[in-house]
Amino acid sequence: MLKKLKSAERLFLLIKKQFPFNVSSVNKGKICNEMQRLINDDPESWLNTISIWKNLLELDAKKKRLSQRDANLLKRKMGENDTVITKKLKAEQMQKTQENREYQLEKQAEEETLAQGNFLTSREKLQLEECQNEAAEAAGTPSQNDLTFRVSCRCSGAVAKTFSAQEVGRIIGIALMKQFGWKADLRDPDVEIFIHLNDIYSVVGIPVFRAPLASRAYIRTAGLRSTVAWAMASVAEIKAGALVLDPMCGLGTILLEAAKEWPDAHYVGADVSDAQLRGARDNLKAAGLEDKIALLQVSVVELPLPSESVDVIISDIPFGKKFKLGKDIKSILREMERVLHAGGTVVLLLSEAHCRSLTDGEESSIPSNSEGRRTDEPGAEKCLIPEGETGTSETVPPSLEASNQECLPKIPPFGSLMPVECYKVSLGKTDAFIYKYKKSHSSGL
Amino acid sequence: MKLLTHNFLSSHVKGVGPRGFPLRLQASEVRIMPVEFNPDFVARMIPKLSLGEVPTEPIQGYEQNEDFLRTMHHILLEVEVMEGTLQCPESGRVFPITRGIPNMLLSDEQTEA
Repeated sequence: MLKKLKSAERLFLLIKKQFPFNVSSVNKGKICNEMQRLINDDPESWLNTISIWKNLLELDAKKKRLSQRDANLLKRKMGENDTVITKKLKAEQMQKTQENREYQLEKQAEEETLAQGNFLTSREKLQLEECQNEAAEAAGTPSQNDLTFRVSCRCSGAVAKTFSAQEVGRIIGIALMKQFGWKADLRDPDVEIFIHLNDIYSVVGIPVFRAPLASRAYIRTAGLRSTVAWAMASVAEIKAGALVLDPMCGLGTILLEAAKEWPDAHYVGADVSDAQLRGARDNLKAAGLEDKIALLQVSVVELPLPSESVDVIISDIPFGKKFKLGKDIKSILREMERVLHAGGTVVLLLSEAHCRSLTDGEESSIPSNSEGRRTDEPGAEKCLIPEGETGTSETVPPSLEASNQECLPKIPPFGSLMPVECYKVSLGKTDAFIYKYKKSHSSGL
Repeated sequence: MKLLTHNFLSSHVKGVGPRGFPLRLQASEVRIMPVEFNPDFVARMIPKLSLGEVPTEPIQGYEQNEDFLRTMHHILLEVEVMEGTLQCPESGRVFPITRGIPNMLLSDEQTEA
């Protein structure tokens, strides 16, 4: 049931979270000890977490327990939260299952988030309590001495200068073997232990599932990562009977996520590229969604659709690195505005460069033609949106400080398109913004 | 290309405007693909259709008329044009449909990624 979380990348059970190791004294031995204490100080929490993890997996396998009603309720609530949570997740989502049972989100301080986060807490608590109860009822706890494990370690910052990831892995591994008697198995362990050490925190946790939540069975080749695609679709307010358009659909990831979750709409994808459309068609076939999604080979600035005919537009605007953006973003928005119904929604994934282009144009009030397309400024570390990756890669959690300090770019209205919301998301190595517009009903052009 | 999709398309040739609808469809290869019947979905799509000379108000209670909905479902969703052409009624410009996908690019821009 947890697998239904569509905009979460990965889900971990938190064992320990504490302040970063103090590396100022370059005394390896000392730090070694500190690491061992992660395990030896509190073996209880390790064992607790392992048993919870086992229960979660058993529950998943049996598929009983949580009634459908509960699952749906949670799913719906998650749906509301996810859009906010998603970007906060960056690469991982930590879930503390200790006595405190707080649900921790690494996030910017927003009231909304807090409220939703808390709601989630109580929901998750309930769920986990049920897990625990069932464990108690079940015939004894399974033996925890015959677990095989593997330690996965990621170090950055000051710690990384003193220790390599392998060294840390070894230290922790040996300590675990000593403390619990588990055996190490690098090939196919029962449990994977994740350790992150950096300048901001030291965290230890266990992933709940082997495969990241972000990997989708129904998408063969992903373009945009599916978690962001799902989040965009959920922000778009797709109602039954809606006509939903992705005028730069590429491999169709956004449409696939949307059609899977909200099947009662008519989806149309468009792209100029033969290759992309071929890939999209394959994806549709593989997912069994050919009936829901129509494909067209058209240009986003010349859409063969009557004005005001589309209810929802969702699009990932090419960032200019992997795919060339043939037209400038303003012409694109204008055409989108034309075909959109009054009251309709546009959800776009924009790079920072796009945001700048949209913001500056308005302020200087120069006709858009002279704007041209922005190239990335020197010093900006923009990388390719990795193709084919659906979050399975080893993404480094971006520094939290940076995201907390930046303000979201304020994009002005575009013609009759009124900005509604903006979310910053991480695409792994780059950040992007999900922008939502609504077309106003005011008469005009 | 399904007929439901075709009903939403309109020619974007410059200067043609609303006279670009509907695109004249010529099919050389058609497939009938069974699609799960979803009466609610069909009922919702019907008001969105542009049916030309037919009176725009559907008959009262069409949402409950299952036969009607099934017929519409079959026509709109189960008929798939695999090969053929779409022609702009005003300018005469022809757009090909290949393997179910209409190519309506006006200029010669095809980016091979």
